Amino acid sequence: METIKNYLEAMFASMPNTVEVRKAKAELLQMMEDKYNELIESGQSENTAVGTVISEFGNLDELAEDLGLAKEVEETRTKESEVPRRNIGMDEAKSFIENRRKKALFLAVGVFLCIISVTCPILFGVYFEGISVLMMFGCIALGVGFIVYSSYVDSAYKYFKTELCRVDMATAEYVKEKLRSFEPVRALCVTLGVILFIICWVPNIFLLRGSSFIAPALMFLFIGIGVLLIVYSTKILSGFELLLQLNDVNTISGTYVNQSLKPVRYKSKTAQTIVEVYWPVVTCAYLILSFVTFRWDLTWIIWLVAGILHRAVVINCRADEL
Amino acid sequence: MVEISSDVIRGYNDTMILFILLNGPSYGYEISKQIKSITDEKYIIKETTLYSAFTRMEKNGFIESFTADQDGSGNGKKRTYYRITDLGMQFYRAKCEEWDITQEVVAKFIRH
Repeated sequence: METIKNYLEAMFASMPNTVEVRKAKAELLQMMEDKYNELIESGQSENTAVGTVISEFGNLDELAEDLGLAKEVEETRTKESEVPRRNIGMDEAKSFIENRRKKALFLAVGVFLCIISVTCPILFGVYFEGISVLMMFGCIALGVGFIVYSSYVDSAYKYFKTELCRVDMATAEYVKEKLRSFEPVRALCVTLGVILFIICWVPNIFLLRGSSFIAPALMFLFIGIGVLLIVYSTKILSGFELLLQLNDVNTISGTYVNQSLKPVRYKSKTAQTIVEVYWPVVTCAYLILSFVTFRWDLTWIIWLVAGILHRAVVINCRADEL
Repeated sequence: MVEISSDVIRGYNDTMILFILLNGPSYGYEISKQIKSITDEKYIIKETTLYSAFTRMEKNGFIESFTADQDGSGNGKKRTYYRITDLGMQFYRAKCEEWDITQEVVAKFIRH
């Protein structure tokens, strides 16, 4: 069935992304699927079934005419033959995303290692001064190695940037779906990261009197984990966006960028104001409360609560998508 | 075996589809299957031809489409069904008459 879907995608690659076209594609797929299923049930092999279905499909020119799209299809064909584009299929997109995760992980871990390298002299400097410095440089070297490697991980996909490419509708839909399901993860990573930045000095308060070297080490560890989370999630996110931005006005299957980066719409002017002043207000509240009460050890909880509430506020203020 | 030229049959795809819809609403693959079996597999309608005919005839008001579950059981797959309209009925009769004349005319020039 996958072959048939891909075939249909390829056939429709030069069709504009309109309601009629989407409907036509869905209907054609349904017919092909019915035929395929029946052939398989009658005992034909998968390959024969696919062959029959494809050979009895017909051609789209006649359909384009009846849908009133003949002119547009023609225009795109000329446009695309003038500036040829490399078509990125579903499999390619999938492996790119998979690869992107790897790249993100290496980069994030690399940066993390560089940041926490300073904990070596902090933790062991008192006892083994020379070795601890060596350990620090070792840590940095390893981190840099990871970072350098991460830039080579996706060198096989360089043509995404150097060549003109396009993704077909089904692939774009797939990537968009992936992006949607990744957004909560991304939000969580950033929130945790920010919380770690804010509370990184908390160990200093509690541990300062006792063991003087654990607290600063913990601080760097907190910062390191925070950066790791943010770098990792940002890198993956930008991978999805890169795929979606391959299409532009010259590809007839449409630009997806406008849809995915559509400005957020709010229910009302008030709702928009609320969302816009949210973080400044929280910051002010935090500072005022902290300075008035001088309970810095407690007031950081404001950030935790505010982070969770933010999501609820945004959801309630946004206008429903059409 | 001689294959039917698509140029010749083109004018009668609509007639075939309407003929099948005379027996009640039907959907894409079912219609193409019936055309295949009625013609003893001598004519297999292409998916694109079929869908083109649907959109064209719907625009002309010969057929109407609606979505329904297969078997009407409520748990089947949602499909687009087509049913013939009164206008479609008139069109079908006109096509039948047209074919009678066409056949009569062409037959005069056929020698075996």
